Amino acid sequence: MATAAHSNPDVLIDIQHVTYTHWNKSEPTLHDISLQIRRGTLNILVGPSGSGKSTLCDLFNGVIPHLNGGEFKGDVFVDGQNTRDVKVKDLSQLVGRVFQDPEIMFATLSVEDEIAFGPENLRLDIPTIQSIVNRLLDQMDLTSRRHNLVWNLSGGQVQKLGLACVLAMNPRMIVLDEPTSNLDPAATRDVHNLVLELRNNGITVLLVTRELDELLAEADQLLVMDNGRLLAAGPPRRMLREYGQMMIESLGVWLPETSEIGIRLLEAGILPGGEIPITVPETITALERAHLLVPVRPKHPTPDIELKSSAPPRGEVLISARNLRYVYPGGVEALKGIDLDIHAGEWLMILGRNGAGKSTLARMLVGLLTPQSDALTLFGRDARSWKVDELANHIALVFQNPEHQFLTDKVADEIGYSLLAQGITDDATIKARTDEMLEMLGLQDVADTHPFALSAGLKRRLGVATMLVGNPQVLVVDEPTYGQDQMMTHTLMARMQEIRERGVSVVMITHDMRLVEEYAERVVVMSEGEILYDGPSSGLFTRDEVLERANLRRTILHDLLGEMARRGMYLPADVRHTQDLLALLNVTQALE
Amino acid sequence: MSQSQHSLNYIEHDSPMHRVYPLVKLIWVLLVAIGLFFYRTPLSGAVMFGVILLTAMIFARVSLRNVLSSAKLIFGLGLLLMLFHFFADPGEPVYRLGPLTITDGGLREGPIFFFRLSVVVLASFVLIWTTHPRDLMVSLNKAGVPYRYAFAVFLAMRFLPLIQREVDAVKAAHSIRGRAGRSGLLHRFKLWQRYMFTVLINGLRKAESTAIAIECRGFGAYPDRTYMKPVEYQAGSLLLIVLFVVLQTGLIVAERVL
Repeated sequence: MATAAHSNPDVLIDIQHVTYTHWNKSEPTLHDISLQIRRGTLNILVGPSGSGKSTLCDLFNGVIPHLNGGEFKGDVFVDGQNTRDVKVKDLSQLVGRVFQDPEIMFATLSVEDEIAFGPENLRLDIPTIQSIVNRLLDQMDLTSRRHNLVWNLSGGQVQKLGLACVLAMNPRMIVLDEPTSNLDPAATRDVHNLVLELRNNGITVLLVTRELDELLAEADQLLVMDNGRLLAAGPPRRMLREYGQMMIESLGVWLPETSEIGIRLLEAGILPGGEIPITVPETITALERAHLLVPVRPKHPTPDIELKSSAPPRGEVLISARNLRYVYPGGVEALKGIDLDIHAGEWLMILGRNGAGKSTLARMLVGLLTPQSDALTLFGRDARSWKVDELANHIALVFQNPEHQFLTDKVADEIGYSLLAQGITDDATIKARTDEMLEMLGLQDVADTHPFALSAGLKRRLGVATMLVGNPQVLVVDEPTYGQDQMMTHTLMARMQEIRERGVSVVMITHDMRLVEEYAERVVVMSEGEILYDGPSSGLFTRDEVLERANLRRTILHDLLGEMARRGMYLPADVRHTQDLLALLNVTQALE
Repeated sequence: MSQSQHSLNYIEHDSPMHRVYPLVKLIWVLLVAIGLFFYRTPLSGAVMFGVILLTAMIFARVSLRNVLSSAKLIFGLGLLLMLFHFFADPGEPVYRLGPLTITDGGLREGPIFFFRLSVVVLASFVLIWTTHPRDLMVSLNKAGVPYRYAFAVFLAMRFLPLIQREVDAVKAAHSIRGRAGRSGLLHRFKLWQRYMFTVLINGLRKAESTAIAIECRGFGAYPDRTYMKPVEYQAGSLLLIVLFVVLQTGLIVAERVL
């Protein structure tokens, strides 16, 4: 029998040769995993969707092997104790796990009761529980919400409450599974600051995330998984140097754009010292050392002139809103007078925090909500005169959770249903059109699979497919990148691009700023029911007051560009990708 | 969205009824219900109805508007039931309405049924309005119900809004798929089947995850647990039971003596 690494008391978690096969799978989900986590460190786990990250998280608090069936080989030691020999209730006081969707952890009705739930189960006395609850409410900035119902919280508050619930057990370590994947950038930063605070207070943290920009420089260990295996683990800078290229090219990890630049400089042989930069100042230093930071005069004296010049040509107006308002029956004013035109064939991204009115607007566009005045014109007719199923042939909405849209038991039938809905009843035509659509979205291999059995990425593609067969003029997509890795995102975005080339307008709701930076042409920023900004994405990144009010933030690439400009190197504002910057710096040629 | 929009919910304020021990209120509802089966005349039912309505308004501080908005459906149902009895019960015809006759038996029985239904419902509503679900659970637990079971009811309440949200999302998502069926009714049935399927699948997935998640939070670790907000039993609560037993006995005796 294996023993824990007693030689090193710094080690909190010691995983030795763990192979785990889920009870209904034939292939192992985890394959001979060995790793160590030291006390008081911040560990970040990355890897493509489906690589086994969440399953790995189940090892730390004993969910595997105690609660989830399946075949478990190897040993996991937490604080020197083998998890096989420790009960889940005892492990819960060593390792706390915040689930991907913390709402499923909640067992009570109000915020303070929720935090008290764990300590109550441990039979702590009332004054102790009260002091734990008060301390955590304060730490998580939830004191004013203590009597709130748990389902009346914002996304960021839900994550904080989840964290509080887990911290209430006073664990040595916390495991967070993609806590920020559905949060706006400001709420994400909040959660990241809390994570750092916890680490600095001596709590060991394992964070599964795809948002590395803010935390990677602070991490003590970066773990990379692919296909059930741990590819490598080590200090982030070393990992970037040794595996950076692989992480970007074959694993689709969203490394900070600054590190991407560093990795390319290393490839090109112009990174003196070989240290991959993570933060903006580090990148500036690296560029200086490579003699790439040279003063360039700005081409445009003011960004406003640039705004007009880079505005893309537009087609006819399909959707037009003038002073559009919407008040929910409860009295909440979701839209406070919006002016917006959506043109044929354009790519529009709508940004803003949760509750900004984005979803209300989207629901009005597809007819799920009826406007309260004649302020909205859809395809030349007053929106109030359209019926939902009639509109379905003109405009389509892909929901955040594509499962909600599925109506049949087979992937092919899903597409067939949409054709039937259009009035096409000829079997041969349906077959031909279905096959065409399956092929276009790369779904031909799963034509007979149940839609619910698809992977997250394929589900979303099917969602898009069912909406596209209706030949809509406008496709509205709600948060398409939620829970998707970089490769899936790029595939999906490439499909969107194809769709657009066929003349369909794409309206995308998102708060993924990197997506905006790379793909957006026209950006509409909403906040509290109003439009704060409507123009090209490059213009948005220069408007601090808009970003601030809408809870958005610049990408790290634009932070870098800003810093370069401050040092006298002005580059055109349409840099969308690290490759654009590298090309401007003539690094790309050096690579080829 | 907000639960506070529904009037049938715990109302957070202080009142004499709020201070009555939750389990005592539960027993009180049962007593009221049992009593109803002993009344022979509509008058006793009407007295109980009036007393409980006044209890709700004065001792639980629930406004008449709130009472009506929660109970109107049940009261309406009770009235229909009463009308049905007017015509259906055996007895001497009192009034003819075409082929239908109203009997004297019906006129006596109808109101009894109306009051049976509405009194029970009203008393249960008083319990709901004045008792935090958590406190009811705690008092059940203290009375010997294992907390795993007492919690089940509580967890169900926690799941309701999640399910409601899911149903709304699925409905909206389905409606924009357009209509593929030729028969409206068949189409509706198929859609309904899908709601159930999707909501059930997602509900089961959530329930499974929740079971694991709360176990990781120590649920079920020990046979008992503590409560941050204990519910203390005070003998004064029994006054509610005593008063109602006296009132009900009085009514039952009076009916038989007078």
